[in-house]
Amino acid sequence: MMHLLYSIFVDPFVQMGAAPDLLVQTLWDGLVSGVLYALIALGFVLIFKASGVFNFAQGIMVVFAALTLVGLAEHGVPAYVALALTIVVMLVLAVGVERLILRPLVDQPEIILFMATFGLTYFLIGLGELIFGGDPKVMIAGQLGLPSGSYRITMAGGYVQLQKIDIAAAIIASLMVAGLGILFNRTRIGRALRAVADSHRAALSVGISLEQIWVIVWFAAGVVALATGIMWGARSDVSFALETIALKALPVLILGGFTSIPGAIVGGLLVSVRQKVGEFYWGSLVGGGIESWFAYVIALVFLLFRPQGLFGERIIERL
Amino acid sequence: MAVGLDSGKKIGGVVLGLEGITLSFGGVQALQDVSFDVREHEVRAIIGPNGAGKSSMLNVMNGFYQPQQGVIRFRGREHCWMRPHAAAAMGIARTFQNIALFKGMTVLDNIMVGRNLKMRCNFLLQALRLGPAMREEIEHRRAAEEIIDFLEIQHIRRTPVGRLPYGLQKRVELARALAMEPAVLLLDEPMAGMNLEEKQDMCRFVLEVNDHYGTTVVLIEHDMGVVMDISDRVVVLDYGRKISDGTPDEVRSDQAVIDAYLGVAH
Amino acid sequence: MSERSLDTFPRLLLQHAAVRPEHPAIREKDLGIWQSWTWSQVAVEVRALAGGLAELGFRRGDSLAIIGDNRPRLYWAMTAAQILGGIPVPMYQDAVAQELEYVLQDAGIRFAIAEDQEQVDKLIECRERSPGLEHIFYDDPRGLRHYSQAFLRSIDAVQELGRGRSAKQPDFIDSEIEQGKAGDVAIMLYTSGTTGKPKGVCITHSALINAARGGCGFDRLTADDEILSYLPMAWVGDNLFSYAQSLLAGFTVNCPESGETVMTDMREIGPTYYFAPPRVFENLLTQVMIRIEDAGAIKRGMFHYFMGVARRCGAEILAGKRVAAGERLLYALGNVLVYGPLRNVLGMSRVRVAYTAGAAIGPDLFRFYRSIGINLKQLYGSTETCAYVCLQKDGQIKLDTVGIPAPGVEVRIADSGEVLVKSAAMFKEYYKRPDATAETIDAEGYFHTGDAGFFDQDGQLKIIDRAKDVGKMANGALYAPNYIENKLKFFPHIREAVAFGHGRGMVCAFVNIDIGAVGNWAERRNIPYSGYTDLAQKPEVYALVRECVEKANAELALDPALCDSQVHRFLILHKELDPDDDELTRTRKVRRGFIAEKYGVLVDALYSGKTSQFIETQVKFEDGRSGKVSADLRIEDAKTYPPATARKAA
Repeated sequence: MMHLLYSIFVDPFVQMGAAPDLLVQTLWDGLVSGVLYALIALGFVLIFKASGVFNFAQGIMVVFAALTLVGLAEHGVPAYVALALTIVVMLVLAVGVERLILRPLVDQPEIILFMATFGLTYFLIGLGELIFGGDPKVMIAGQLGLPSGSYRITMAGGYVQLQKIDIAAAIIASLMVAGLGILFNRTRIGRALRAVADSHRAALSVGISLEQIWVIVWFAAGVVALATGIMWGARSDVSFALETIALKALPVLILGGFTSIPGAIVGGLLVSVRQKVGEFYWGSLVGGGIESWFAYVIALVFLLFRPQGLFGERIIERL
Repeated sequence: MAVGLDSGKKIGGVVLGLEGITLSFGGVQALQDVSFDVREHEVRAIIGPNGAGKSSMLNVMNGFYQPQQGVIRFRGREHCWMRPHAAAAMGIARTFQNIALFKGMTVLDNIMVGRNLKMRCNFLLQALRLGPAMREEIEHRRAAEEIIDFLEIQHIRRTPVGRLPYGLQKRVELARALAMEPAVLLLDEPMAGMNLEEKQDMCRFVLEVNDHYGTTVVLIEHDMGVVMDISDRVVVLDYGRKISDGTPDEVRSDQAVIDAYLGVAH
Repeated sequence: MSERSLDTFPRLLLQHAAVRPEHPAIREKDLGIWQSWTWSQVAVEVRALAGGLAELGFRRGDSLAIIGDNRPRLYWAMTAAQILGGIPVPMYQDAVAQELEYVLQDAGIRFAIAEDQEQVDKLIECRERSPGLEHIFYDDPRGLRHYSQAFLRSIDAVQELGRGRSAKQPDFIDSEIEQGKAGDVAIMLYTSGTTGKPKGVCITHSALINAARGGCGFDRLTADDEILSYLPMAWVGDNLFSYAQSLLAGFTVNCPESGETVMTDMREIGPTYYFAPPRVFENLLTQVMIRIEDAGAIKRGMFHYFMGVARRCGAEILAGKRVAAGERLLYALGNVLVYGPLRNVLGMSRVRVAYTAGAAIGPDLFRFYRSIGINLKQLYGSTETCAYVCLQKDGQIKLDTVGIPAPGVEVRIADSGEVLVKSAAMFKEYYKRPDATAETIDAEGYFHTGDAGFFDQDGQLKIIDRAKDVGKMANGALYAPNYIENKLKFFPHIREAVAFGHGRGMVCAFVNIDIGAVGNWAERRNIPYSGYTDLAQKPEVYALVRECVEKANAELALDPALCDSQVHRFLILHKELDPDDDELTRTRKVRRGFIAEKYGVLVDALYSGKTSQFIETQVKFEDGRSGKVSADLRIEDAKTYPPATARKAA
């Protein structure tokens, strides 16, 4: 018993103190994958805010975007042209989703729309396999001008290794978040988006076109998916296995709140750092593998105490 | 030509005309061959017993419903049906019987959303807060403040709408519709669920909007007394058909109307 | 200009326009933005207005009725009338047409300035019966476009006439100002009067300026002070604080956007000098408490902890007394975490001097504001004394007194206990009522205030009741109804109370609950109710009120002179007492006699030992219609304490 308590409450901290370089490395790894979680969560939040739909297809959109990019490059299209074309493909996808799914299903219960995104997921998996095949591909990070290699920082009896691609990911993610934040808070498109998120009927009556807003958010979510796909793909392979990272974003959303962009960011970082640190220092206690479920435990606890998430809007209702 | 209640009011030509509107939902006839027109600057009421098709008529006018037959003529152009955001862009604003506001936003933001259509600046200019965008924002804010002043809701400008009592929410909804500077304002039971004092305030505001901005008002109302006091002309619907149309006095003495309201069997 | 020649308000205005032309004189929030006018701009506006009035036939000795919320142009109209040797007569904006009509006829008013359509409509209604009203001017043109009456003009139009006139006759205004004398009547205020018809109190320039000068010196007010003018212009206090003192010291007057926005406007302006009747302080506190109760547990806990600290030492620290270092440190921490933010929410971050008067203030309420660092003080005065008799001096604040006699004021207590006042800041006469004037000002020049009070050992005046209300109970014991009612009203759940007991064997009372506070209380306990009448008769609410009454009884029992005044039986009225039903005066004082007569059946029921009584009452709604409210009222007994055991129970 004493031993157990020791290994929970004392030993991990002793280790942290003894090897600060390892702690910093763990924290850094957590932060980096947190940025990527945050990007995925951001895609969810955009669509959820504007249409109240939980977009199950966000994960496959990441894969599909990455595959399109790599696929085009494999056919000899120059990297930047491929990037531009992929963005166009995401726009076409957004218009298609609006025309073929959202518009016919307008005014249907949210669960119907949620199911429709399931359909979209399997459609995109099928389409992707049909066009690009099922084999893992390598991200064209180098051609896109993304750095490779790493920095090594020596510190207290060891060193910390920072991958350059991770630093680039963090910078690009921050820029995207800032850009979206400005778009939604300062412009009339943002005001319209918030209006649509609040009440479809009212938004229509003041002349906001739901179709236009839906295309905009799905397109924005598509671009975010592309960015996520590039970053994630650069660290591993581009394959359909990537799709499951969408599930990892779920606890991030619960933590950050489904409607908050800053929530998605902070939630992503928090979840990921806790995961990594938890796995590294406490994982051995239960035979490892904390990483895969620890985040859900955090999310569950959060749901009990703060159902609207860290930053989610409190639901104000007066009858 | 009908003469307004107020001495100064000039009622103009037809601004909105509905001809032979027929609307049905899966076999249920909501409107059958209804025709009437709305003249510029008038207060036009649509009345009728519950289920007469009043709200359906309003929904046809702003494009929430698309009629199977009939023509909508708005400012000289013919439409088989409207689309909501297009109707708004053409100058038709509306309020709802059970209030549709952006509950999480403040009163001021709600009104500013009503100004959205009027904003011309590129979103890039807005995002970067460049000169023209700032000037435009200030101009629209001023317009919003004038409406706030007009409807006497200064004290709640920063309050999230969801926290307001019902009567004030109705007023904010009117404010948002006014922010669109509409040519025609559709009001769906603006006084429903209000107490007497709130009703009187709302009547005063409707008349003042009509008088001060010259806005044409089409309103649905359940309460016959209110309608007769404030409208120039009244159209009466019953079971989806038009049964009477004319000045309040004419309508009041129309036997068909009396029967409909007293529930004479059909 | 020498001090001596600054003896009328128009001259004071000219002086500020010359000495501090660019200093803001008055601000108004319009379309969400604060607009301000400097002293020199105000002088230009006022001259134009005066010229226009003269052009339309306003002559020396004429009266100008002013009715509306606090608006810059309405204040300017006061000075404009004074320039021409006329007398502004501000009126309560919620007065109904008949009330206005009485004043219009009594003062023979030919000119009136109204704020907006609502007031214009009332004046037009009056004019139908009092054709003596020749001209009506308005500030806000909204809704008046189709009014084509020839006697109706906008203030802009009047000023246009004035500018035309000064083009022809450039020195007209200056020569009019030259003719003004300090002894001229500067303003006439109608007292609401608890009995009889209102009387016009004539106040001279010199009296009002003396009062203003005394007050400005006492609290060291300067041109850099800011005040929010939101209390009725017809009330003497607003005339003293927002008009006379502003014109004397040159400080800035801020007019709120509307009656409902006062809280927000307070926060934006951050006045340094503030006045409010106790009920406003009470409402503010109620709102704060409601927000705290709705806040999270951490915030709530922090608030209650630091309010405890403030209760222990806040008032002492403000008064500059010695406090232990530990407490002082905690208070400093509380100041950062709680009191500062709280003062900010209340809009009182910059308040240097705050006054309350008009009614007694609850000790808890008074201590609350002082303990969070707001220098709240009490003053005593009336319309006849320019609201200037006694003031509390910084550092000598007591809860139950109104302070020491103000500079230049002589206060004496008559044998009957009535407070008598003599000063250079006193009214000249009641308009056309020499009888009433002679009744209140005696041969030695003392004004009989009608209040009963005494000086305590520190020389501070303590007011206990209206002299005429002080009565005797059947056993001969002293009976001061106001004192009892105030004790009850100090409880946040009780809004109004009316006590009965003169010539009776015991004291009984009517109570009005505070619908805001009790409503909130009920909601938190899941007690459903449909409105005031329903809520008032809930057994839970009766229990709540009984607890308050018994606490008040325990306190009364402590005072040997008043222990017979404990409330034995009470009931909660089925409707809120309302000035529109003549149950309260416009300043919200209860008209005890009228109420006793109107609800005679309830009084009888209280004394006959019944446990319930049916009542039906006519009520007037705001729009002038009337209707009926009826209910079966419960009557309950409250515990009373013998003098000896009271200390333990309290």
